[in-house]
Amino acid sequence: MIVSDEMIVQVKQMILSALRIEDMTPDEIDTDAPLFGEGLGLDSIDALQLVVAMEKEFGVVVPDAAIGTTVFASVRAMAAYITENRK
Amino acid sequence: MNLWLFPGQPLQFVQSVPVDREFEALAVLCRKHCGYDLVKQQPVSGACLSHHTCLQIYGVAMSLYCSRQLYNVGCNPGLIAEHSLGIYAALVAAKSISEQVALELVCRHGSCMFRMASQKEYALGCPIGLRVEAVEAAARNNGAFVANYNTSRHFLISGEKVAVEAALAECQSAGAFSVSSYPCEAPLHTPLMAEVEPELAAIVQEYRFTEPLVPLVESIHQTRLTASAMPAFLVQELLQPVYWERTWLKLRNSGFVRCTEVGSGKALSKFNRWIDAEHE
Repeated sequence: MIVSDEMIVQVKQMILSALRIEDMTPDEIDTDAPLFGEGLGLDSIDALQLVVAMEKEFGVVVPDAAIGTTVFASVRAMAAYITENRK
Repeated sequence: MNLWLFPGQPLQFVQSVPVDREFEALAVLCRKHCGYDLVKQQPVSGACLSHHTCLQIYGVAMSLYCSRQLYNVGCNPGLIAEHSLGIYAALVAAKSISEQVALELVCRHGSCMFRMASQKEYALGCPIGLRVEAVEAAARNNGAFVANYNTSRHFLISGEKVAVEAALAECQSAGAFSVSSYPCEAPLHTPLMAEVEPELAAIVQEYRFTEPLVPLVESIHQTRLTASAMPAFLVQELLQPVYWERTWLKLRNSGFVRCTEVGSGKALSKFNRWIDAEHE
């Protein structure tokens, strides 16, 4: 799935906004780095916050953590999931 | 006004520890009063401490270390709140007990609770995403207890391992976003802790508590602890749930300018972020 640069930026902005990360800019987030564990070091609390944000901003549902593991693999994976499932 | 929040027990040790005078001073206290090596993150030779007791001592020590760092840059609390294990370091920040007493108390309480593990297997479960009614029903239906009400969608279930795992399975079936469980040496924040209540109370009675110089809001009823209430609270908080969402909602209106999580990790800050988002 090819995702637009615009969507990549939108996803990064959503992450920063939903998680209230104030000391980073979208450019500083690696598009292909893992979001959990290494990378941004997110956890399950962050995951649910991102699920809510994705639903609110894009109308896209992540039903459970198993799917979330794939969706939240990276910014690019999130953007691809949103592009594919956006209403 | 600075608000200091003291978090509960960390789930794990960090890989590297600070190397400075403050940490070394706390390491000396841990070795002397707990038989715990804070630097190597293990009991000193000859000391008998369980894994969870070590983790509890470590958690309190890290909060004490963070407090020292804040004092050193001129930051002093105007209001204090605690979550579960955070009470010990919170009492120190309130000037009601010393660092030494906090470390002794957590070590002795931890060792007392560990004795429960010799008879039964206990666990903590973390369902994320369900509303409170569904989590309470799952706990109740399976003989477990809701131990932490952290946010509207984040809870901890506590009790015997088999009950917790059954409750988590029910949460999963009910549509929880994620469930996870962790072994635990005691059924923290449940009535099952009554089994060791007399021992816990006897330990606390050996210590003296002074009136807090900084107000400390507790996480069961959201009241300000007084010196006379502290001994009973240190026992009761192990038998009752932590109501963090209620606590944070009360603290939000306290007029603080800066809020700092004083300890290992960022769990409370993340809970608060969630609660804030729901109440804006």
